[in-house]
This record gives sequence, structure tokens and C-alpha cells, in this order.
Amino acid sequence: MTEQAQQMIEHVIHVIGKPGIEIDEGTPLVSSGLIDSMALVDLLLKLEDLTQTRIPPGKVQPKDMDTVALMFATAQRVGRPRK
Amino acid sequence: MLLTGLLYGVALLILLLVFAKVRSFRVRQAILLVASYALYLTWGVWFGAVLLASTVMNFLVGRWLKRQPTAAVLWAGLAFNLALLAVFKYIPGIAVSIPVASLQRFSRLALPLGISFWTFQAMSYLLDLYRGEELDPTFVEFALYMAFFPVTVSGPICRMTEMLPQFRSEKSVSRHDIGRGLCRIATGVLMMQAAQLLGKGILGGEGINGGFDHLTRWSGLDVWCLAFGYGLQLFFDFAGYSHVAIGAAQMLGFTVPENFARPFASTTPSIFWTRWHMSLSFWIRDYVFLPLAVLRREMWWRNLALVISMVVFGLWHKGSILFVLWGSYQGILLILHRQWQAVQRRLKWEPPAAIWTPISWAVTITLISAGWILFRANSLPQATQMLAAVASPASYLGHVLPRSLYLLVAGLAIAYAAVLFVIDSLDRYAERLGPPATSRSEILEVMVRERWVWIAPMWAAASLLVVTIMERQSGAANVFMYRSF
Repeated sequence: MTEQAQQMIEHVIHVIGKPGIEIDEGTPLVSSGLIDSMALVDLLLKLEDLTQTRIPPGKVQPKDMDTVALMFATAQRVGRPRK
Repeated sequence: MLLTGLLYGVALLILLLVFAKVRSFRVRQAILLVASYALYLTWGVWFGAVLLASTVMNFLVGRWLKRQPTAAVLWAGLAFNLALLAVFKYIPGIAVSIPVASLQRFSRLALPLGISFWTFQAMSYLLDLYRGEELDPTFVEFALYMAFFPVTVSGPICRMTEMLPQFRSEKSVSRHDIGRGLCRIATGVLMMQAAQLLGKGILGGEGINGGFDHLTRWSGLDVWCLAFGYGLQLFFDFAGYSHVAIGAAQMLGFTVPENFARPFASTTPSIFWTRWHMSLSFWIRDYVFLPLAVLRREMWWRNLALVISMVVFGLWHKGSILFVLWGSYQGILLILHRQWQAVQRRLKWEPPAAIWTPISWAVTITLISAGWILFRANSLPQATQMLAAVASPASYLGHVLPRSLYLLVAGLAIAYAAVLFVIDSLDRYAERLGPPATSRSEILEVMVRERWVWIAPMWAAASLLVVTIMERQSGAANVFMYRSF
């Protein structure tokens, strides 16, 4: 697991805010209801910070953010380097 | 209405026979498309022409977008769809209330049935293509996506990503799908009858429709009864219709999105909006809220994006100030819930679930119900008057609505809760049974596993009973409520 993925997992746990919850790169977040729409925005912005990219609006859907692994794949697919 | 229902029933039976005999997906697509258009044309030839024009236009824009996936092409496609909605849905409403000569020609335009549903399907197709989704429908497949008869009139709103593989499937129809589909249709019909009953009332008294349309003053209790009763009526009507649509699709082997997931069991407004009209609320989340919310990083913008999204949700129903207010109200509720969660987290306050969950549920249902007043009121002054009655303690001393309506609303709510309890108990029992064993064939096991065998006829009998009760009630029958959206 990369350091970025580890940081994202820590952020997801912080956002969910449930003590003792265990998350890994493949844990479903949106489809399982752990993450709601507002938290999804939070994760998207964190993803931009971690990957130093800008993800254009309209290029991402919740299903692209369902797991931490999918988040980084999405950033790689649609993210543009920050100016 | 009965004739249309019969027509859809006969078409479904014929298609079932065809699907049982024909395996080629191309032949199936062609037959399904012809049947879908034939049924849609029964609502009006003009409606079919608008649907076909929109289909051709969106298919061409889709092709263009695949070659040139730019924001400009996407916006051209979205503008076409929004213009279509404006011409048929919003401008006629404005023309009626604003006496401007140039608008009057629009005031007599009939609203093509299901335009809000299939236009949103078309827009999601364009947005998915822009997002880079690999979609390559033929014209027949795209036309079928737009006109697929179980969902054309009132949803659920489908996505091309989910429908295309199913249109290309050659799987045979299964007894299980037919049985489950039949059960859902029977459930839906009963729920829609219950909605009619709520609308008309019982024992000669006013129903929810009369409570909103005939009364000119209300007590606080009356408003709460009407608000909660209307929420229940809308749920029975639209969730019932969704059951019928999903069931009809399932009989033919198609899975279309669910629209409701026990919304009245929600314990927060956020949960409620993931359970009520889900195919639209997820559409708004995916294509409006998310792209809008990430435009700026500040929290105030995120909250504003939420309110804007909920206003779009409201305006999807109708272009009126009441729906703008309703959407804004729901958006503010969601923000307040979010703030409350933040406070709880900051204070590290976690009340015991046994106490907190019922309180949270009661507050959620009360606040959501209050919103239905804005949704259903005939005018802004009426909504204001009803909300004033809610806020006035003195108005709670009596009631204008007949007792029969209070009893009906409470009775149907309790009956619905009881049905859910029985279903949950059956599910738990089925889980305990484990996988089916051929050696065991106790009657209880068969009844639990093959529920449709007894539930479908039971619901059909209950529907007949409700119809008999309604026959004695005066007042016009209300057609399916979401058809007007």
C-alpha cells in the first residue's frame, strides 16, 4: 500500500467518525452507506491534495470513489496536474 | 385508466411469450421497441413524435460527444434537453400565470407523458459519455432505453450503463422472475389503491384531496393529519407505481433501479433522501450536487450546492415557487442535520441508541411531513395559512377534518408498519432455513420461499376490497399523482 493510500484511509476513518472502524483499500464506502454525499466531496478534495491533481467537475461519480483503490485509479484516469 | 391497464397487461403477456420463444437479443430489442412505442402512442400520437425527436437528437449528440468529448458539445446536448423541458413543462405553467402575449401560444401545449423521466435519462447518457464511460448503443438500443415501456411514463429513471448489458442479454425468462414480478405488481396495485383511498376518504368524510382542495381553514391537528397523510398517500401512490414498473420489467428479466427503500423508517433527513425517489435523488447527487460542490473548497459553498441541488429536485416536479421553497427547505434540513452531527462529534456526545433512535426518527418524520405542505398546497397563501395553524397553539383545541380521515391515516400507517414487520419476520425465518432442501417440503417452508404464490392473490383480493370501499365514496378518483410531473 502506498503512503498516499494510507493517508487517505486515515482521512476516511476520520470522516466516518466511528470509533474502532476498520477500512482497507477495497472497503466499499459509498455503496455500503458509510460515506454520504457531503463526505464524498470531502474525500474528493482530499484526493486532489494527495495526488496533486485537479479532478474536473462532471468527470467523477460516486461509484468511482467507492473504495480507496478506486479513488486513486480515478485520479490517475481523469486528474490533471495542478498549475 | 382500466383500459390502459388492461392494454399494458396484455402487452406484457405477449412479450413474455415472445421472450420465452425468442433468444436473439436483436429480435427481442426490435419487438420490445415496437411494443414500447405502440403503448406510448396510446397516450397521444403527438407525445410519440416528441419522444422520437428527442431520441434522434440525443443519439446524434451522443455520437458527436464520443468523437469530440468536450464541455461545449456536452452543454449543447444539455441545452437541447433543458429547452425541451422548458417548452413543454415550464413555459406553459408560466404562460398561464403571466399574461404575456408571446407566451400564450405555449399555454395550450400538452405535457408529453414521462418527459421529465426520459429527458433525465437522456441527459445522464450524455453526461456519462462525457465522463468517459464506454457506451456504444445502436440507434435501436438507444431508442429502447428512452421508450422502455415499464419505465417511460413515470420511471424509475434508468442509466444506460445498467440497461445496455441487459438489452444485449439473451437469458431466458425464469419462473422465479415471473413470480417475483407478479408479486411486485400485485403489491403496487394494492398500494396505489390505498393511495386512492387516502385521497377520497372513507365513511362519506373528506379525504386528503378534499382536505387540501375544499377546506379554507384548518386547525394545527388538521394540518399535521393532512401533511402526514399526504406523505403516506404520495408514498403509496408512487412507490406502488414503482413496484408495478419494476415488477413488469422483472417479469421480462430486466432489473431497473429501485425507487423507495422504506423511507418512513428513516432516522435522519440524510437517510430519508437516500430512500425516497432514489432514482431521482441519486441522479441529482451524481450529476448536479457532486460536480457543483467540488467547484470551490469552502464549506459554505458545499452547503449552498446542497440547497441548489434540492431546489433542482423540487423544480424537477414543477416550476413553481412552492417547489422552490420545498427544495430549499429540504436542503436546509440536510445542512442542519450535518451541523448537528458536527456538534455531536465535537462534544463527543453519543446518546444511547435505544433512546436516541426513536427521538431522531420522530423528529425526522415530523420535519419531512411539514415539508409536504409546501409540496401539496394549491397556492402560497394556502401553504402560509396552514403553516400558521401549525405554529399557533390555540389552533390545536379542535379539528375541522372528519374523524374518519384521522382514523384512515392512522390505520393505514399501522397496517403498513405491520406488513413490514411480517415481511421482516419471514425474511429472518427464511435465513434460518438456509438453502432449499429437496427432502424438506413443509408447507410453512414453501410459503416462505415461494411467497408470491400466496401474496399476489392476497394483495389482489385486498385491492378488490379497497375498490369496493371506494365505490361508496363520492368525489372524483385521482389518477396516478406522479403522472403530472
